[in-house]
Amino acid sequence: MKRIGVFVCHCGINIAETVDVKRVAEESMKMDGVAYAQDYIYMCSEPGQTLVREKIVEEKLDAIIIAACSPNLHESTFRAAAEEAGLNPWQCEIANIREQCSWVHSDREKATSKAIHIVATIVQKTRLNESLEPIPVSITKKALVIGGGIAGIQASLDIADSGYKVILVEKDSSIGGHMAQLSETFPTLDCSQCILTPKMVAAGKHPNIELMTYSEIEEVSGYVGNFKVKIRRKASFVDWSKCNGCGLCMEKCPAKVSSAFDRELATHGAIYVPFPQAVPNKPVIDKDSCIYFKTGKCRLCEKVCEIGAINFEQEDQFVEEEVGAIIVATGFETLPVADLAEYGAGDVPDLIDGLAFERLLSASGPTVGEVRRPSDGKVPKEIVFVQCAGSRDPERYKPYCSKICCMYTTKHALLYKHRVHDGQPYIFYIDIRTGGKGYEEFYHNAEEEENIIYLRGKVAKIFRDGDKTVVWGTDTLTGRNIEIAADLVVLATAVVPKDSTAELVKKLRIQTGPNGFLAEAHPKLRPVESINSGFFLAGAAQGPKDIPETVAQASGAACKVISLFSRDHLEQDPAVAWVDEDLCGSCRICISVCPYDAREYDEEKEIVIVNEALCEGCGSCVAACACGATQQRNLSDSQIKSMVTASLGGV
Amino acid sequence: MSENMGLAPPKNPPIRLTLEIVNTGFKQRVNELSGQNMDACYQCGNCSSGCPLAQEMDILPNRVIRLVQLGQNDDIINSETIWICASCFQCTVRCPKGIDIQAVMDALRQIAMDEGIDHFGPDQIDPELAASVPQPGLVGVYRKLAT
Amino acid sequence: MAKIAYYPGCALNERSSHLDRSARDATVRLGFELDELDTWTCCGAVPPVSEERVMNLVAPSRILKDVRDSGRDILITICDFCYNTLKRTNFIIKSDEITRKRVNAFLADDTPERDYLEKDDSLWEDYAGEVNVIHLMEYLRDELGYEKITESLKRSLKGLKIAPYYGCVMLRPQNEIQLDNPENPSIIEDFITALDAKPVKYPYRTECCGSYLSVSSPDASTRLCYRILTSARNSGADAVVVSCPLCFYNLDSRQKAITEAYSDFKPVPIFYFTQLLSVALGVEYGRQGFEKHYVDVTPVLDKIGISTGKGGEE
Repeated sequence: MKRIGVFVCHCGINIAETVDVKRVAEESMKMDGVAYAQDYIYMCSEPGQTLVREKIVEEKLDAIIIAACSPNLHESTFRAAAEEAGLNPWQCEIANIREQCSWVHSDREKATSKAIHIVATIVQKTRLNESLEPIPVSITKKALVIGGGIAGIQASLDIADSGYKVILVEKDSSIGGHMAQLSETFPTLDCSQCILTPKMVAAGKHPNIELMTYSEIEEVSGYVGNFKVKIRRKASFVDWSKCNGCGLCMEKCPAKVSSAFDRELATHGAIYVPFPQAVPNKPVIDKDSCIYFKTGKCRLCEKVCEIGAINFEQEDQFVEEEVGAIIVATGFETLPVADLAEYGAGDVPDLIDGLAFERLLSASGPTVGEVRRPSDGKVPKEIVFVQCAGSRDPERYKPYCSKICCMYTTKHALLYKHRVHDGQPYIFYIDIRTGGKGYEEFYHNAEEEENIIYLRGKVAKIFRDGDKTVVWGTDTLTGRNIEIAADLVVLATAVVPKDSTAELVKKLRIQTGPNGFLAEAHPKLRPVESINSGFFLAGAAQGPKDIPETVAQASGAACKVISLFSRDHLEQDPAVAWVDEDLCGSCRICISVCPYDAREYDEEKEIVIVNEALCEGCGSCVAACACGATQQRNLSDSQIKSMVTASLGGV
Repeated sequence: MSENMGLAPPKNPPIRLTLEIVNTGFKQRVNELSGQNMDACYQCGNCSSGCPLAQEMDILPNRVIRLVQLGQNDDIINSETIWICASCFQCTVRCPKGIDIQAVMDALRQIAMDEGIDHFGPDQIDPELAASVPQPGLVGVYRKLAT
Repeated sequence: MAKIAYYPGCALNERSSHLDRSARDATVRLGFELDELDTWTCCGAVPPVSEERVMNLVAPSRILKDVRDSGRDILITICDFCYNTLKRTNFIIKSDEITRKRVNAFLADDTPERDYLEKDDSLWEDYAGEVNVIHLMEYLRDELGYEKITESLKRSLKGLKIAPYYGCVMLRPQNEIQLDNPENPSIIEDFITALDAKPVKYPYRTECCGSYLSVSSPDASTRLCYRILTSARNSGADAVVVSCPLCFYNLDSRQKAITEAYSDFKPVPIFYFTQLLSVALGVEYGRQGFEKHYVDVTPVLDKIGISTGKGGEE
C-alpha cells in the first residue's frame, strides 16, 4: 500500500482559528494509507516546504496531501516541492480546508469534523492516483493583439521588439484609441499627441508588426500555443494599396456625419479619416452615411480620385491566422450622458462629457483648443465639473470608482483656467482620489494656486434655464446646498467596458467580472493573465485605469507572452479525459457536451478520441459517456466512489 | 427668482455660487490680513479634531475656512467661533498644509471688528475677575475680542 | 554675580509677584541675577492680530531695542505670554524687512532724541532683531544646565509626583518659538527630574486652559481646566507645575468653579516652576507666596517633610 503523508497548514489563524489543526493531523494518522501527519503554521513558507520535502524522504512517502488553501493558490507550489523530493507531481494533492471550510464556518467543532472529512476524501483519491507525465504541446510564436489603443500599441511594440511577430487588430480605421483624443495628460501636462503619435508611427512601421485596422475578430479556436483566428477585414471601399492619402475625396464629399472622434462636436464627410495623425492615414467610406450607398447617386469621391482608389464594390474579406498567444486590449467607453436621466438625459446642449471636453481643449480639436460651448460657441465664464456621474452609484449605475476622473477633472479645470483666465471652474466631488506618483501634488497645486472651487457633494440634478445650465448640488463641508447657473457643465461619466467586449469574450471564451470588465486570473498575483491560458489582458478593458498603469500592464502582458514564446514547448496538465477504445460505441454525445472542442471523431479508428491539448479536464464527457468508455485520469469512477463514501463519513 | 418679502426666510437657503461671490474679495481680504492662502485648505478637518474649544463653537474651524473659500462672510462674522478661539495655536502647529489658522481667526476677528462688531467690552467683565486675573488675560481679551 | 537682562512684564510686577520673587530668589542661589530693565512697558500680551497691525509690534520692539542699546544680547522672560510676544516680534522683525522698516519708523518717530536725530540720522540704528529672547526655564536648561540645579539642591523633592503643564504659547507656534517639540515636549519634565521629583505624563499637558477666555467665556475655561486637572490627577500627580501666570490663574482659581460644577472633582495644587525651585534650593519658606494660591499647597509640601510651620534653612 502507498505511504501517504498529510501536512496540515494553520495558515496563520486563517485555518487554525476555526479548525483544530492538531486534531486534523491526529485523525489523519488513523486513516488507511496515511503513514505520516504533521501540522505547521505556514506550510507554503520556505520552512514549511522544507518540512514537506524532508518528510517525503525520511518517511519514504509515496504521495502527499497538503490540507491548506484552495489548489488554485498553491497546488503548483507543493507539486514542485514534491517533485524536488523525488515524487511524481501528480502524487501531491490539496485538501482545501480554508476556502471550503474554515472561512465559511464558525463552529469550531463542526468545522474540525468537516476538515477531517475533507482530508479523508482526498486520502481516498490519493490512494489510487497514478503517476502522470505532462503532455507536451508545440507553440506558434506569433501573437495576436486585439485593440489598437495605447495598451495594444505598447504590448505589440514590446513583443515585436523582442523578435516575435505580432498581428495588431483594430476595429477602427486608425490605431490610437482614446489617448489620441486627449489634449494634455496628467500630472505632467505633456501633450497626448506628442507622446502617442511616435508610438503609433513605430507600430505602423515595425517589421514584426502586421497592422490590421478596420478589422474585427470573427472566430477563435484552438488553445494556448496553437490558436486559429479568423479576422474580418471590413470593406473600406478605398483601395488602401493605391490611396496616397491626398485627401481630395474627403474635401469633396457632400455628406455630413457627426465625428465620433470629436465626440459629436464636429462633422466630417462620409469618406473620412478620424483624425489627421491617423495610422494608417487612409480613408474609409461610412456606408450608412454615404449618399451613393443610400440613393445610388453621387460617387463624387470616385470622380476626384485621380488614382482610382475608390472601390464601391469592395466586400469584407476574411483572413485566417495562427497565433500562440492573444492579448486583449479592447479598452473602454464612457457611460453615455443620455443614460443619466437626472442630468438632463442628453438633452441639455451645454452639458458634455469629459472626452468631449478633451476635444474642446485639444489644439487639433473642433475649436482649435479654444473652450467654446456647443450651444452658441460662447466662451463659458463658469464651468461646473461633476464627478462620479454614474460611478460609485451601485443602486442606479455603476458600483465602482472609475479611478481616472478625479485626476482628469482637476486637469480639465486647470487647463480651462489656463485658457480662460477670468473663468471660474467648480468641481463637485464625493472624494478626491489621487493615488499615483505626483497626483496628490498636482491636485494640491490646482486647488491652491488656480482658484478652482472644490465642492464636496454629489450633484442631484442638472437642467437648462435660459442660456444657463443650472446645477443643484450640495457642499457637505458647509452643510449648505449649492446652486450654480453655469455656462457649461462637464460630466465625468463612468468608465465602462466597450459594448463590443461582451461579444468578443464569447468568441474568445474568456471571462468577465460582474461589471463587464475582463477578469484576471488572480486580482493581485496574476493581474495580466486571463483565467484561460494563452489569453493576456492589458489596459482599461480589464478595469478603469490611467495611461501609466495601462502602459505598465501592457508591458506586463507582453512580457508574459515573450516568456511563453521563449519556451520550446508547453506542458499541458495530463489529468484529462482518456478513452477506452474497446468500450467506445461512437455515439458522439461527448462531442456535443465538450465546451472546449476537445473531442473529435476518428474516422480511421471509428471511435471518438480526446485531443489532450484542448481538454481542460472538466469531466463533462466523462459524465455523459453512456458506455463508460471515457474516464478521467486520477478521477476514475472507483476513486470518485470511494471519495463520496469518505466524504459522507464512511472512511 | 425673487424672494417674497412677506414670507419668513427659509431656514437653510442654498448658496447660489457665482463667479462674483467667489471672487468678492472676502477670501482675498482674509488672505491679505492673515498672510495665508485659504485655497490651500483641503478640508481634512485636523484643525477641528484637535481644537480644545471646539465644543464651545457653533461652526467648527475647518468649516469656517470652508465658508471663507466660498465667500460666505456673513455666516462667519456672525458666528460665535471667531470669539471663542483662544489663539492657542494647536491647529496652527498641526495643519498638514501649513496654514496658520490662528492667524486666519485673527483676520476674521479684525474684519468683524472693522464692520463694527465688538464682541467684548469693559462693561461685560465681572469686577471681581477684573481685579484678580493676571494682566495678560485682560490685555489679551481686549486685543483679541474688542476694537 | 552675572546679571542677565530681565523683563518681568505686568503680571509678574503685580498680580503674579510670587512668580517674580521666587524666580529672583532662586536664580541668585544658582549664581546669576535677574536684572530688571530700567524702564519697560507692557509688551502687548498677544502678538499682532493681523498683518495690517504693525502698531502692535512697536511696544515689544521698543523693549527689545532698549535691551540692545544697553549693550546686551539676551533677554530673559518668565511669563509665557511675554515670552511668546517678544520672541515672535523678534522673529517678524528679523524675517520681514518691510515690517522691520515700518516698525523702526514708528520707533524713531517717538524716540526722545527725535529732534537730535532729525539733524543727523546716522546716529539712529534700526532694531533688527539682535536680542535673543529666552525663557527662564530655557536659560536653566541650555545656559546653566539642569545638572547645576541638581547639584545645588538643598531640599529633596523626592517622592513628589508632579504633572507638567505646558499650555499653549510656551511652545507654539513651534516654527517661531522653537523651545521644544510642541506635541511631545520634555523641558518641564526634565526640570522636575532635576529637582529630584518625578514627572507625571498625562495626555492633557499641552491642551489649552482657555487663556484669556477666562475673562470673556469663563465657563469654557472652567470646562477645559477640569479636563486638564482631572487627567493629571488620574495619572497620579500630587500637583501641577506651570510657568505662565494666566495658566496658573485658570488652573488654580478656577478650581472653585470646577468644584461647584463637578461633584467628582478633587482639588489639585498648582505651583509655579520657580516656587518649586525656590523651595528646593532652600529659600526660606514663606517667600514663595503660597498664601496667594486658591488651592492649599501645604498637604503636598508636608508629604516631603517640608513643614510649612517652620522656616527654611536660612
